[in-house]
Amino acid sequence: MSDLDPAMSGRNSLQPTGALLGILCVAMAIDVGAGWLLGRPGFGSRVRIILALLPIPANLLLVTVIVRRIRQLDEFLQHVHLEAIAIGFLLTVLAVSVYEDLQKAHVVGSLKIGILWIFMAAFYGIGYFIAARHYR
Amino acid sequence: MKNRLRVLRAEKDWTQAQLAEIVGVSRQAIIAVENGKYDPALPLAFKLARAFGKTVEEVFIWEADSLQER
Repeated sequence: MSDLDPAMSGRNSLQPTGALLGILCVAMAIDVGAGWLLGRPGFGSRVRIILALLPIPANLLLVTVIVRRIRQLDEFLQHVHLEAIAIGFLLTVLAVSVYEDLQKAHVVGSLKIGILWIFMAAFYGIGYFIAARHYR
Repeated sequence: MKNRLRVLRAEKDWTQAQLAEIVGVSRQAIIAVENGKYDPALPLAFKLARAFGKTVEEVFIWEADSLQER
């Protein structure tokens, strides 16, 4: 049909591959394992610091793989994901700010860091829905 | 910016998926460009034009007023 190179942009989806899911599972297992060990007594301060930093390499690998995947997307999908990330980030900031005010009003307890991930993932999903719908 | 993508694609009897494969983008990108919701960057605009054997100006029509319509 054409002499154009069809492989301009590689994968055109952020759907997780087996490799990505594998790295995610390993990273989560290290996170959970390190957290569990840190909750137990009997470790010296040096070991505790090492345990606290242990999840970093796997998580950095995860970030690298995701960034690579985003770079493989075509310009339009990059645009949609950028909007989704911007919306997700701003909504997370808003939610944390509101939560902080509710804390000051003694309505809610202290915010756990782990819950932030859930906020971010949920707001990213909302952002993607809004962006994808806008360009449909 | 307006474009003649839908008309040109119909002339070639290509589906959106086929055109997407030819220029190496997602089908969503073709849909967004065809519907005028997304203006492609120059490399994609040139690839789309080349796919139809046309120049960029023959496929994309610049209308300054169309920016205000959004």
